[in-house]
Amino acid sequence: MYHNPKIPEGINSTKENPLKEFSILLLGTIALVVIVSLILGFSGSWLAGKIPFSAEVKIASMYDITQYTDSNEHPRLAQYLQSLVDKISKAQNLPEEMKITAHYMDSDTVNAFATIGGNLFIYRGLLEKVPNENTLVTLLGHEIGHVKYRHPIKSLGRGVAVAIAMTTITGSTDSQIMGDAGLLTTLQFSREMEKQADEEAMYTLQSLYGHINGGAELFRIFQNMRQEMETDEPSELFSTHPLDQHRIDNISIMAKKNNWKETGNLSPLPDFFQEEINSYLNQ
Amino acid sequence: MEQLLITIVLVALGYFFGRRAENKHIKSIIEREAVMNQLPAMAGRFPPQNGKYHQQLVSGSVVIANDYFKTFVAGLRNLFGGKITAYETLLDRARREAVLRMKQEAQSLGAELIFNVKYETSNISGQYNKRMPVIEVHAYGTALMEYSTK
Repeated sequence: MYHNPKIPEGINSTKENPLKEFSILLLGTIALVVIVSLILGFSGSWLAGKIPFSAEVKIASMYDITQYTDSNEHPRLAQYLQSLVDKISKAQNLPEEMKITAHYMDSDTVNAFATIGGNLFIYRGLLEKVPNENTLVTLLGHEIGHVKYRHPIKSLGRGVAVAIAMTTITGSTDSQIMGDAGLLTTLQFSREMEKQADEEAMYTLQSLYGHINGGAELFRIFQNMRQEMETDEPSELFSTHPLDQHRIDNISIMAKKNNWKETGNLSPLPDFFQEEINSYLNQ
Repeated sequence: MEQLLITIVLVALGYFFGRRAENKHIKSIIEREAVMNQLPAMAGRFPPQNGKYHQQLVSGSVVIANDYFKTFVAGLRNLFGGKITAYETLLDRARREAVLRMKQEAQSLGAELIFNVKYETSNISGQYNKRMPVIEVHAYGTALMEYSTK
């Protein structure tokens, strides 16, 4: 009579703990994602840097910027900011077609940022803290520096390239590659980019006023603000902005290297400046 | 972030419960196979032609669902290629369980032998590839019963 033999275990299945395979695969996937996003992010940013500025302006014009800004309600202030911006653009030797537009935002946010198409957004919250024109020029010079080195479009290019890669890998189709918020959210700049913009701001100060007094004040504003909010500065490793103190130190180093004067007369802000900024209180 | 948390919880649940169920199932399969081994099942297509037996179709089927952990591992495996061991265990269990059920039916008929044993495996989770795989394994064969026992 026929008998079935006893089949040994472990031929069609493995006794190995599946967690082992899981962790190897997970680590491999994470490594793959990181490498792919680094490579794609880098090439996306590099390629975006090749986009002519005129095309960048066209991309920016897809968004209706005027609906967000309060420049029209404060024509004097907007005009003043624009005149400073034009002066700085000249000082930074911006190419002819690179037109910078300043937008005033009547909001408490302590911030200012540059975005694609040479658009600068400056919030009232930050302007309230600016003590003199030199510091304001540092702020605008920094943001215009970002535009000069094409940081907004590079950052956008990197974001789009990484988003496309992630959509492909994860297979999801619901993620927005270039959402409506793309223009108005602060684009993430790398620490290198911030440093480049800081340096550009210092060059601007020096060439406009012959000294760099007032420049470091800008970073002290941010430092104080962070202390007021009692939030610890994020450790440098995780932050894209160089630590405030590092930026202040870096200014001194730059001044010494280039033989710039760190002291000098500060130019006051125009008389109507405070008035315009405080106008929201009367409403 | 929430999405990530949900996934982690699902994977952890899938791992703990899936693994517990699997180990229990394998243990039970091995025990029952030891008993059922006295009823031979074979793939041969030609039954003994001596007129001593009558024949009947016997079958056993099992539907087995995947857990989230296995699906997740298989998804990761899809990126790199290679054997999906998580599914191998699953299918092995399903086939053996199907044979055991078929043998149980044959045993209740008083069979002495099952020949021409075949398997059918089908995916019944539908056409949406995002759904977790659910498979059915169907084992069937011809049971031989001695006339005298009737």
